[in-house]
Amino acid sequence: MTKATVADIKVVSSNARGNILAKLKAEVKGAHYDKLPEESPYIYPEFSHQENLAQFVAELEKNHAQVIKTTKGLMAEVIREQLKALNIDKLLHGEGDAYHEVLTQLKASKVELQAYDFSIDNNKELLFNECPAALSSSRCSIAATGSIVLWPDENEPRSLSLVPPVHFVIVDANKLYADFARLIAANEWQNKLPTNVVLISGPSKTADIQQTLAYGAHGPKALIVLLLNSEEART
Amino acid sequence: MKQFNEEESKYAASAKAFRANVTRDLGNEELRSNFRGAMDYLMGKRKSAFSLADELEALREQCKLIKQRCLVKLPHLLEQLEDKLETNGIKVHWAETITEANEIIAQLIAQKNGKTVVKGKSMVSEETALNDYLEERNVECLESDMGEYIVQLAKQHPSHIIMPAIHQNKQQVAQLFADNIDGFEYSTDVDTLIQQGRTILRDKFCQADVGISGVNFAVAETGTLCLVENEGNGRMCTTIPDLHIAITGIEKVVEHLSDVPPLLSLLTRSATGQAISTYFNMISSPRKTGEKDGPKEVHLVLLDNGRSQAFADEELRQTLQCIRCGACMNHCPVYTRIGGHAYGTVYPGPIGKIISPHMLGLDATSNLPTASTLCGACGEVCPVKIPIPKILLRLREESVKPKSDQPQIMQGQGAGRSNVEALIWKAWAQVHESPKLYALSMWGLTRFRFLMPKKLGGWTSVRTAPKPAATTLHEQIKAKQAKQDKQLKNGQG
Repeated sequence: MTKATVADIKVVSSNARGNILAKLKAEVKGAHYDKLPEESPYIYPEFSHQENLAQFVAELEKNHAQVIKTTKGLMAEVIREQLKALNIDKLLHGEGDAYHEVLTQLKASKVELQAYDFSIDNNKELLFNECPAALSSSRCSIAATGSIVLWPDENEPRSLSLVPPVHFVIVDANKLYADFARLIAANEWQNKLPTNVVLISGPSKTADIQQTLAYGAHGPKALIVLLLNSEEART
Repeated sequence: MKQFNEEESKYAASAKAFRANVTRDLGNEELRSNFRGAMDYLMGKRKSAFSLADELEALREQCKLIKQRCLVKLPHLLEQLEDKLETNGIKVHWAETITEANEIIAQLIAQKNGKTVVKGKSMVSEETALNDYLEERNVECLESDMGEYIVQLAKQHPSHIIMPAIHQNKQQVAQLFADNIDGFEYSTDVDTLIQQGRTILRDKFCQADVGISGVNFAVAETGTLCLVENEGNGRMCTTIPDLHIAITGIEKVVEHLSDVPPLLSLLTRSATGQAISTYFNMISSPRKTGEKDGPKEVHLVLLDNGRSQAFADEELRQTLQCIRCGACMNHCPVYTRIGGHAYGTVYPGPIGKIISPHMLGLDATSNLPTASTLCGACGEVCPVKIPIPKILLRLREESVKPKSDQPQIMQGQGAGRSNVEALIWKAWAQVHESPKLYALSMWGLTRFRFLMPKKLGGWTSVRTAPKPAATTLHEQIKAKQAKQDKQLKNGQG
């Protein structure tokens, strides 16, 4: 069998684009975009910060995340204990101000610290096979669904919160929003989305075999939330 | 008017075999028990996720209007999306047919000398049968969603759009692993099975040079691809390999970022009863200078494959409101009994019955719209209020329309038309238009009732044949009135 000449995908795509858009435009010609029916969102009740925080923790725990209320000063000790219980002696971490204090304290312990200061390109084996746990910060969180917002950048690569089997994440209770819609509106996200934003609401899981929940499908098997400022009133 | 080649998709043949598929799968008790259990579970989960009835109704109305707005603006939003994505550094490709989409993806992979592909769950790539296409070109394409991985290992295709391996129970999966994975010892412990899958697939994520994913929402305003998932394989596919190719249908575009939260909330709650999925992944660009990971190139392939045909008719356009939650199949009495594979299409269940005719033509799918009791459950649970039962009726009509020279609304229009059936209905109409003909036919039917055959095709396979009465209803009433009149007269006398 002779193979047909290879199609130029640029030409294929350009023709397809023209045809699809022409067909669609012909159908909506003359549509009155100023006369569309009004969309009214459901108005969720307002809750106090303490109520929202309780909801946030409850949702996370329902999804098998471990939430530990702690302080900046005690955080290193909590991490050390958790790692010890898990029999892990190495921690991959991001870089930047958020980590300064906790890393200084951890340095005094036996935990081997590994900064994510390398490109993934030639280090995939290291990342997949030699990093049993990771520590990341977070940008803010969402009470209604128990979601933690990660905003990866050069200091905190996307795979930091994905590849190591245990993920510690620092969450500031003062940066809690009631729901996703309010979070987007308050921060005008439509004007400034970075390369990647990810909402995390528990450890990786699946129910693909006979609807039986199993944790640690591909991402972290454990999500340990280090919740700061949980006792303080919102400022 | 020929719009596309019906034989292009391998699913045209399996959809045509619908009746035979149904007979095969209804006889499989294990399969039926697997579906019954899974559907009961999913219906329960959805119910518990919507505790406030007014919230559910308000959200459904809002999301219906969001999707309808995005559809009426669709061509403009697609242009805006393309513009924003290109500004963000994501390359956009367009494909009218499944072969075009597959060829674009194959060449993008070849340009990078890609040999190993990991794929996140994408029903659109099932639609194009991308795995087969790449395999023929010596590119290994591994499914990484646990359900999809199981299905691929079993050389099957998904039987449900959210839970692809729902037709298998854990004993079957255990046997499948034992037969296909070196060193795996038969175990029905689900954790053991998942950990086995994890071990194999993490190696693949580490080695793969290409990641392929679908898209749940493409935001025109920001040029963002949103992915909803629980396992983390979607994040792996879109983060670890150097090249990420996303493929989606043209109807997945939404106008504003603020359109996403209500749609997301309805999607995960309708699908699996979760308030939100474990991961909600928003991708707006490839790796930027200074960033340490993420793909160096990101591409989006926008596929039509019959969607513009549905778009062209206002009633059928509502089909494109679908956000692929699967609630309609979970609540469908037909799907629950025959299972997902019997349909023979990529999308099974109620949504499959109304979208597949646009993808495969009515020639291959004219049986599908008839496979419904019109109980209405699908329309009632649909989070974006697609009037599925109404559209099923409309498709039944399209499939029996007489052939004409007028431009067709749907490819394969009239494919389900039977001349005998059409003739019977024509005669029926004429008889009912004329009182004389009606009386005559009723007289004949009652007097010659002994001619009624004992066997009436499918009807008598599970029922006895109906037997007309000895006299017509008119005659019986007349006789009764005459009797009453007589009694009345006698009484007076």
